[in-house]
Amino acid sequence: MNDTFTITDEQQDYSQYDLDANPFPYSPVPAEDPEIYCGQPHVTEKISSTVSSVLSTGKSKHLVVTGKYGNGKSHTLKYTRSLLRDRDDVVVGYVAQPGEGFLDIYHEFIYDLGFSRVQEIAYEYLAAVTCDITDENPTGANEMESLLDDGEILLSEIVPETIRRLSDVTKFADFARAIVHMVYEDTNLYAWQWLTAEGIRYEQRKEMEIHSALDDDTMGVRAFTAMKNILLDLSYTGVFVFVDEFESIARLSPKNEQATLNSIRHLMDQNSNGLCMLFGCAPEVWQDVMSEYHAFSERIGQEVALRPLTTENLTELVEDYLSRERTSAVPDPAVRPFTENSLELILQRSQGNIRQVLSVCSRMLDNAASESQAEITADFTQEHI
Amino acid sequence: MLYRRRTLDLSRGALETPVLFPVRNIGKRSSDNTPEYVGTIPEFSVAMINTRSIRNREPMWNRLTDGVPLRKEMDVPEDTIVFADSGGFDFSSGDVDTTPAQTLDTQRQLDADIYGTVDLPLSRENRDAENDRRVEQSTKYALEASDLHDGDSLLIASVHGYDPQTVRNNIRYLEKNGHFDGYALGSMVPIRTDYKKVSKLILAARTATDKHLHVYGLGGLVYQPLLLYLGVDSFDSSAFIRSAGNRNYLVPGFGGEALRNVESMEYLPCPCPVCGQRCLDDIREDRTALTQHNLWALATELRRFRYVAESDRDIEEYLDLRFQGNPVTQRAYETAKQQVRRLS
Ligand SMILES: [Zn+2]
Repeated sequence: MNDTFTITDEQQDYSQYDLDANPFPYSPVPAEDPEIYCGQPHVTEKISSTVSSVLSTGKSKHLVVTGKYGNGKSHTLKYTRSLLRDRDDVVVGYVAQPGEGFLDIYHEFIYDLGFSRVQEIAYEYLAAVTCDITDENPTGANEMESLLDDGEILLSEIVPETIRRLSDVTKFADFARAIVHMVYEDTNLYAWQWLTAEGIRYEQRKEMEIHSALDDDTMGVRAFTAMKNILLDLSYTGVFVFVDEFESIARLSPKNEQATLNSIRHLMDQNSNGLCMLFGCAPEVWQDVMSEYHAFSERIGQEVALRPLTTENLTELVEDYLSRERTSAVPDPAVRPFTENSLELILQRSQGNIRQVLSVCSRMLDNAASESQAEITADFTQEHI
Repeated sequence: MLYRRRTLDLSRGALETPVLFPVRNIGKRSSDNTPEYVGTIPEFSVAMINTRSIRNREPMWNRLTDGVPLRKEMDVPEDTIVFADSGGFDFSSGDVDTTPAQTLDTQRQLDADIYGTVDLPLSRENRDAENDRRVEQSTKYALEASDLHDGDSLLIASVHGYDPQTVRNNIRYLEKNGHFDGYALGSMVPIRTDYKKVSKLILAARTATDKHLHVYGLGGLVYQPLLLYLGVDSFDSSAFIRSAGNRNYLVPGFGGEALRNVESMEYLPCPCPVCGQRCLDDIREDRTALTQHNLWALATELRRFRYVAESDRDIEEYLDLRFQGNPVTQRAYETAKQQVRRLS
């Protein structure tokens, strides 16, 4: 028996660096809700102004964030999403990639909202109707649910009116019914499957009195618009959609690519209010889209590019990460145990790619700790990189 | 297991539940030609009657208003306990031709012990919106009856809904806004072959209230054990009359069998007072006898369940056996079992 492996739950000791733990992610995939964002000021400004403009005017506005692989597009989108998600007057959905066409974007969007959120929206709408036609004044989804559970409100009295109004607001009676069926335990899974465009059997559709199938891009645009209209009717300021890895539309057939872009264009045309789409896209693909599909690029218009990190960006990023685990006041230098020279080398080797930077920093710190190095020098980095 | 025993305090005496109310055809025909059973089957000193049919059968209604008591008209003892439903099932198509006040008046005139409120049954084909309207209307009728009701008789609110939420919501709404002695789940007949759905709805009703729970129209041989298992306190059935009309012989633990399929037998497999002494040929010719036997079959099924429960035998094991023969009811029972277990 040999002991090639040493498995222990003992933690590395980072106290010599005034750190509680290694703050760098081991696997530099952007966190779902990033706490740290080392944004490049021109990018954060552009995003802020786009988002703020939608929030303040209610008018739709869209933006493309370009940048090479690893320069932080996803990170940027996810960070923006995490900021927006804290607001209770907007609805945010993240689409990891456009898939085969607009229906997939729609599917991912609804899926990201999630079953409970969509159910909540249904209850919120029932609450709004309840306030109008009864003496009760539920203020939210939970309160509405309790009123129904307790029998304060007669479900069969408010449902027909809710369906009528939702049909009016969405111009899509099937969508209205699906939303209302989200509150029925017998049918909410079918309703959810229909709403996410996963497809359900004819009998299940019939049980909800839904006549159409949500199974192509045109229906997807219609459904998306319906959902947005419901939200605006509930006094939400806007709906934000983050479409990451938009460059993957380039691998679709020209016909499908065109169809996807057209659907997005239709969506934008039908939603001049309350919609903000943020795309993350590789610059070369965006160039092609710009030159080949004017109708589309005209509607987005705005673009902002993420550049490779500069020395200054990098220093700031490393400082931000380290400060998360600092046990004492900020040491001097603030990037301790990294030295200026080692960071310079890391930047060079990673070509300013944020993903690689984070991964190298994480490794260096672990190596230094296990070898009890007081500092991470350029030499040490050179040796371990 | 939700099976329970209670006692209903009625002015005519105490009624032990769970209990089956045989449906009498009084009012449906010129006279009540339901064969005699009160007094012969001890636990069935009860009857379910249709308020609307009786009221609309003019000669009979005249007799009743002229002072002939209902129980005399039915030829049953004075202490027979009568549940008068509104006759809502007849409104499945067509308009409602009565009001809660009128129905209540009639029920009082009939000296019924239990009143069912006016209701509009749902139909399977009705669209959601139309069914919602009917549910709402029945609820309003029940509340009207609650406002008008005073007296010793029990008022049972009719409840409808094709999903658990609606049923639960309905009962709790009625509980908040009216005064009822119990609830009766209606509209089950059109969906009776969907055992799973029916069980879910009954369970929704059972968990929404601790008061008396009646289920309309499902007291046949197959449903009975399921209803008992789900904690239903009373149910009604006309299966014994309908089956006899079709020359169908009910066998406890099995179901119905067309008599022509067993023609060569000399004696039927039942020791009840009807079949025990008479040969098959004799019974086949006598529809009244067949009807009476069928009611005995329902009584036997009920007694058997009670026996299993009282003797501390495992009811679920008994029902596993009871439903084994039919995949559809077996699946429904399995689902019900899971749901019931989740409640404990
Ligand atoms: Zn017999």
